[in-house]
Amino acid sequence: MNSVTRKAGVFASTAFGVILMSSNAGVALAQGGLPEGFQKGELPAEPSAEMLEAGKRVYFTKCVWCHGVDGAGDGPGADRLWPRPRNFNQGTFKIRHTASGELPLFDPKKPISGQNDLFDTVTHGLPGSAMPPWEGILTEEQRLQVLSFVTKELVKDRSFQDKASETQTVLQLASLKPKPATEESIQRGKELIVEKKCIECHGVEGRGDGNAFNLKDDWGFSIQPADWHKCWNFRGSRQDPYNVANIFRTFSTGVNGTPMPSFADTTSVDDRWDIANFVNSLCERNAEGNPLPIDPLTDKPKINFVIPSDLVEGEIPADIEAEAWQKAPRRYVAMGGQITHKPRNFVNRIDDIWVRSLYNEKSIAYLVEWDDRTKSVAEGSLPWGPTEVNIDVTEQEPRTGEEGSIAAKQNNYDVYNDAIAIETPVKWKELPAPIKPRYLFGTNEQFPVDIVKWEADGSLRAFLGTGWDQDFQQRDTYEESMKLLKAEWKNGRWYVMMERPLGNKKDQDYDEDTFFEVGQYIPTVFFAWDGHNGDAGRKMAVSAFYYTFMNPPIPEETYIYPVVIAIGVVFLEGWVLTRRANRKKGKTL
Amino acid sequence: MKALMSLGALVGILGLLLLGGMTLDVVPSNTVRLVEGYMPMQLLFEVGCYVLGFTGLSYILNAMGMAIPRFWQGIGFWAFFILYLKYRVYPPIPFSVRAMYGTVGLVCVFMWVSANEEDWQKFKQPILNVLDAQTGMNKMLRYAFLALIPVLMWGFSYNAMMPKSEEPIELRTVHPAPPASTKVHGKTYTLQTSQNPYRVNPEGKYDQEYSNANIVEQSMGRLMKPNANPWGENSQGYLKYVREGGEIFFQNCHFCHGDNLNGRGLHAFAFNPIPANFTDPGTIAQLQETFIFWRVAKGGVGLPNEGFPWASVMPPWEQHLTADEMWKVILFEYWHTGYYPRTWD
Repeated sequence: MNSVTRKAGVFASTAFGVILMSSNAGVALAQGGLPEGFQKGELPAEPSAEMLEAGKRVYFTKCVWCHGVDGAGDGPGADRLWPRPRNFNQGTFKIRHTASGELPLFDPKKPISGQNDLFDTVTHGLPGSAMPPWEGILTEEQRLQVLSFVTKELVKDRSFQDKASETQTVLQLASLKPKPATEESIQRGKELIVEKKCIECHGVEGRGDGNAFNLKDDWGFSIQPADWHKCWNFRGSRQDPYNVANIFRTFSTGVNGTPMPSFADTTSVDDRWDIANFVNSLCERNAEGNPLPIDPLTDKPKINFVIPSDLVEGEIPADIEAEAWQKAPRRYVAMGGQITHKPRNFVNRIDDIWVRSLYNEKSIAYLVEWDDRTKSVAEGSLPWGPTEVNIDVTEQEPRTGEEGSIAAKQNNYDVYNDAIAIETPVKWKELPAPIKPRYLFGTNEQFPVDIVKWEADGSLRAFLGTGWDQDFQQRDTYEESMKLLKAEWKNGRWYVMMERPLGNKKDQDYDEDTFFEVGQYIPTVFFAWDGHNGDAGRKMAVSAFYYTFMNPPIPEETYIYPVVIAIGVVFLEGWVLTRRANRKKGKTL
Repeated sequence: MKALMSLGALVGILGLLLLGGMTLDVVPSNTVRLVEGYMPMQLLFEVGCYVLGFTGLSYILNAMGMAIPRFWQGIGFWAFFILYLKYRVYPPIPFSVRAMYGTVGLVCVFMWVSANEEDWQKFKQPILNVLDAQTGMNKMLRYAFLALIPVLMWGFSYNAMMPKSEEPIELRTVHPAPPASTKVHGKTYTLQTSQNPYRVNPEGKYDQEYSNANIVEQSMGRLMKPNANPWGENSQGYLKYVREGGEIFFQNCHFCHGDNLNGRGLHAFAFNPIPANFTDPGTIAQLQETFIFWRVAKGGVGLPNEGFPWASVMPPWEQHLTADEMWKVILFEYWHTGYYPRTWD
């Protein structure tokens, strides 16, 4: 067996070399019937009875709540999750080094990253789903124990040890050197994703908007293609989202149980690196083109709660390509589901938005961009008024069974308008320093909030919020002074630019409108609705409190005072030295 | 003695090498992860080891005639401590906490170098030498300092005065004082006298000892006791209610508070302040069950005035759950974290 493996390896590596040298690779089946870059592997040994027993204890403390007593992915938490927790029974696992359809790598005695897929999954979690990383919570031993239990007792239709029915064809990722992400490689990848039809599901810009409605997983639940611009949400990102090898692996092995196939048989290793390099290049980066810093506590981009707004002379440009907008710093604003009041939004499909801001002497403008796989505009008029927030959108019952679960309902909701809103407190200056108005829709009549809401039907409205349980009040005269500079949905992304008056005490209504003051921290909250997720009223995505900060021009004192201080220090030094010298001479000053 | 000290020296050198590697990003700082909930103890233990190591190192160097002056020892150890906090501690701790630890470290170093008059003299001698500038070297140093300090002061003040848009620091009362009683679903609960009605033994009697004996083990992984499985077919009383509480938790609470109750749920990354971490000994472990009941029932909206800045998204759970369900969730939270609720006596 060993020599066979070695031979296959030699074949594979020669094939690899040949293909590297020949520029027109074509179909890349290595000799021996294995796809290029793969080698035969061995099935793991059976875990001991003690490990199973110990693993059961871990499972029933930590895992049963979502994955269920029989591992069928139907625990108490399952119905409110999308994606649903894994059903272990069929032995279908997404993130693997093994060929399409095969069981993942799992060896109860080998806690080695890259050689033990299930161990890596438990260690690093599956970002973008509710599966957290268990490193630091469960010991290595405990993770191996619980996986022994899952693979032996809960995978029911297949067996990890059955040599008669199972094979392991393992992607040799460690020995395949990543191709440098040169411009040619990225350009080649860009052509290949069209040729390989990746864009049919993932969309022209890779925002996962290509086939947003018709995809189903093996259990018949709606599933959505990955958004390549949010690599930190890749299930297989292994807490290392900008690592191109993860994309290469997923592309080579496919994602079992989903429509994502393996491309190993039809794509040479070289081409796979090109595609991986291109997909990796799409992931959001900062202004310098470097990967965004990832917060190790959340595995999402680090958050800066201040949204700076730069001063422009004259009109605020309506063109995103204009220099002022291009120079304005972008801020990542994280969005969570609104789960404070009913109807709660357990599955928010908008999990981040990007915000930029500019101001001139009269107005402030926000440019909000966010990925939304579908453009949603309600057909006909909605059954409730625009000011109503206490509307009757049904919430998921805690336990409904698979048919009534959120996952089963996805893409079957009534379609409402996509929308975005910006909430700022009206009398933020009157609140003592750390106090903010109540989080959702203001505190009361005394401390209301100013809400500006855009909807996909083209409306831009202004409301007054006086409490979470109060319907909005429309500020009708205000709307005339606002301007919608841009609202466009393109290839899975919304671009909305809104302009509103800065306000002042003289012309504006002090009880309704926020005054935007230069150099002050103005609490700002964002709300987002995805019309295809049935979002309306309070069923929405919410951000935390951010701050709009209008950058003031630099005052003259900034240049003067430091010089004065420096001169003062020189005098002080002189005094200390004289004093010391006098003291040594026996004089006292 | 010498052997012991050599061993200490080895530890010291190893520590320095490790930290150097972590600072330069050669060695990943998560090589040895600190464990949640035990982090301060681990930290203290490690730093203690290093102190012993450095003692050994300094002893050996002394014996070899290459003693490091007390002045540099003090500064060096403080620098080590600062770097240690920044680069070794993983998951990283925020700057404000590091600044606090750093100050404590500085005070400790100061106490050490000024423990007696002789040591203090030794410590401040290099400073005085530079001030007096008796040698050419010291003269140069003195001029360098004379020029450098005003330049630095100019830089710092310029930096400080430049308008910046950094996030303003907000203080928050984590555990505001509870009211004497709270009214939930029409029933008034007096916080001092109320009890969790589900903390009962299989016979249905309120039994804190029984429930405390059946919580998860306070060791790595916090696993359930082998013979106390809430999912066991025969589980009665406390354990049965723990399971029911867990079901409610995983239908409502884990979205923010996380699958492991550590405040890292699916939506947690979007919120500020971040959701409470129940595995932290500073949260439910030091509160009474009735306090939790009040916070759960009233949520962020029900925070009293001193609980500002009111940015909490904690739902007022009385809108979603019955009182019984809330009590069961609380039962589950204590079971799953392995903490005993604080009692009034």
